[in-house]
Amino acid sequence: MTRLVDVPGQFDDRSFDQFAAAYSRARAEGGRLLFDAHAVEWASPYGLVGLLAAGHAARAAGGEPPLLTAPTAPEVLSYWARAGFFLAARDLFEIHGKVPRAKPAADSDVLLPVTAVRAAEDVHEVVGHIQQRATAILSSELGIDPKATMGFAMALSEACQNIVEHAGTGGWVAVQSYQWRRRLARRVVVIAVADSGVGFEASLAPTHGRRFGDRWNDATALEAALIQGVSRFRDPGRGQGLKGIRNYVSRWDGKLTIRSGTARIAIVPTWDDDVPLTEGLPPFPGSQVLLIVPEQKARH
Amino acid sequence: MIRSIDVSAVLHQAVRATYADLVTRATGRAVREHIEQAYGTDPATVTRMDFGGVRCIDYSCADEIVAKLLRERIHVLLLRGCSEAHLEALTPVLEGHGLAVILERADGTLDGLGRPESAMALLDELVQAQLAARTAEGAVALVEA
Repeated sequence: MTRLVDVPGQFDDRSFDQFAAAYSRARAEGGRLLFDAHAVEWASPYGLVGLLAAGHAARAAGGEPPLLTAPTAPEVLSYWARAGFFLAARDLFEIHGKVPRAKPAADSDVLLPVTAVRAAEDVHEVVGHIQQRATAILSSELGIDPKATMGFAMALSEACQNIVEHAGTGGWVAVQSYQWRRRLARRVVVIAVADSGVGFEASLAPTHGRRFGDRWNDATALEAALIQGVSRFRDPGRGQGLKGIRNYVSRWDGKLTIRSGTARIAIVPTWDDDVPLTEGLPPFPGSQVLLIVPEQKARH
Repeated sequence: MIRSIDVSAVLHQAVRATYADLVTRATGRAVREHIEQAYGTDPATVTRMDFGGVRCIDYSCADEIVAKLLRERIHVLLLRGCSEAHLEALTPVLEGHGLAVILERADGTLDGLGRPESAMALLDELVQAQLAARTAEGAVALVEA
């Protein structure tokens, strides 16, 4: 029996929970999953890497590989191809629909196409690539001090390392710059990282779960990691990465969200109305990280 | 005696790749272990690490290399060739551990970085060892042999 997972028409961090609900319902029902993206009109990098994480989890569950119906709108298909989505997706899904053969282009908005992160070498590749592509855009289009653009590479490195160090499996990262007309009316650069690994709760439980007793869950694990800076490693230097990302987004009035399991934590900037901690979300495997750095106000 | 370490060269030797960035725990560990093996028995008073050829260093590498060497192996650490971007990773890591190093500026003057009390003590130690001296302007600068 094939179970349908609808991909939202506007597929981004705001509609992700709708996607996660459809995914978890279909998984619970059992059978082969069909991810239906034919009607998608727009997808953010967060949506794309999240879809790959879902495909990876479905594939890892065994049985026949999940199905994916590609978007039918030519401009959506073209963007997904330029963003490198299909190159990553073809190893996970049986894809139906007309898929362009285009390689990920040196598109001015796609700063880093969807890239697999499995090991430290991949993080080096990602950081090397982003420094060539992003520095000019961060300083000329977002008004970030050129001296501070290295902080962006550092934040990206730490977000990717979260997969290597904690997920127990591979994941994906994508970086894109775009004009965020509806939500902010400013240009933004977005880093999206997703994996379908063990998630924060399971990663931290052996070293920190007992301390929290009955309160230990996805939400307390996220708070412990992001706010208290705890790590599953007992080494006193651990936990610096998320703290560094938090400092970077705070400095540039950016937004950081981490979704893991059934909870999501956010560092909310002045321009956004998100809530700091959300519990009771539809379960979704692994962790999904989103960093948004907006064009700086003075310049705007 | 000041022992010098070219961090970029060590990076290439340690990971056998042409990376210009000091990122990831694994890379940091490889670089630190290479330094420990190469200089472990050298009784230098002061160790100078030159970051001149390093493009980016992240928090994990700053912790894995600088903080761990300071905690376990090196007493007085002098950093040279550090950009503002390097300091963005190094400063919070040092402060988080309550550690300090000495920063060698391009003009040869020295500044403390990290825990202020420890940094001040390190500068005094260098002056007392006659490896550094106070300038007429009140700064501290290395006395090159």
